[in-house]
Amino acid sequence: MSNGELERAGRVVRRGGWITGAALAGVAGIYVMALAYTPVEVRQGPAQKIFYIHAPAAWAALLAFSLVGLASILYLWLEDPRLDRFAAASAEAGVAFCGVVLTTGPIWGKPIWGTWWTWDARLTLTLFLFFLFLGYLVLRQALPDPSERGRFSAVVGILGMLLVPFIHVSVYLFRTLHPQPILIKPSSPSLPPEMLRTLLVSFAVSTLLYVGFVTWRYGLTLALEAREHHARG
Amino acid sequence: MADVPQNQGYLVGAYVVAAVVYLAYTISLWRRARKALRKEELPG
Repeated sequence: MSNGELERAGRVVRRGGWITGAALAGVAGIYVMALAYTPVEVRQGPAQKIFYIHAPAAWAALLAFSLVGLASILYLWLEDPRLDRFAAASAEAGVAFCGVVLTTGPIWGKPIWGTWWTWDARLTLTLFLFFLFLGYLVLRQALPDPSERGRFSAVVGILGMLLVPFIHVSVYLFRTLHPQPILIKPSSPSLPPEMLRTLLVSFAVSTLLYVGFVTWRYGLTLALEAREHHARG
Repeated sequence: MADVPQNQGYLVGAYVVAAVVYLAYTISLWRRARKALRKEELPG
């Protein structure tokens, strides 16, 4: 390894750190916006505002897992290690976002549905998706050979991606307690303008946070690979 | 008009949990990257 490789990794890590820092400041801004400037929904009360962190985290998780699948398909075709690094980074970020979805959802469900959890199609599929990508990350740790690791994990990543559209349309396909989509649906968004504005800003912030996490994690992989090259001489 | 439900405790709980997850992952990335980028500990 040359110091150049490590320096390049350092530059990517720093870029990821800056983007993540800006996005975390954005998350703090969303909290202020949601708590101080967005009206309380009359039927659900303040708990409805959980939606401004839950739905954008779900968007970022599904985006992350979809991109793992797409990058994995391209990796199996082109065998470009950058695609494998990106898929691994996106999967890890997706698991973090999915963790937020699976914790904030039940906290909203308790006051609104009267229960923390129900084995409804969308909730169950999301839990399975979370476990599937945890398995993906464990599989990557267990395979030392980069080529084998890339191919095997790409297959799991593609299978995980196949769950994503089912999760989105599950509220139409099955009897469910989960609310219907309010943004990504055939008709126009069904929210008052103040709530819609906060929601759209929080979607943008979540996307930025995803970009920050993935850039940072990608740089970390570059640094680890650089150390490995150096160890092998 | 019906009373607005008083359930702000759940709102605070969810916001705290989300912040903890995001900060924990950020700290994890920062620690792993700092360790991986240390030049003085290069193997060999």
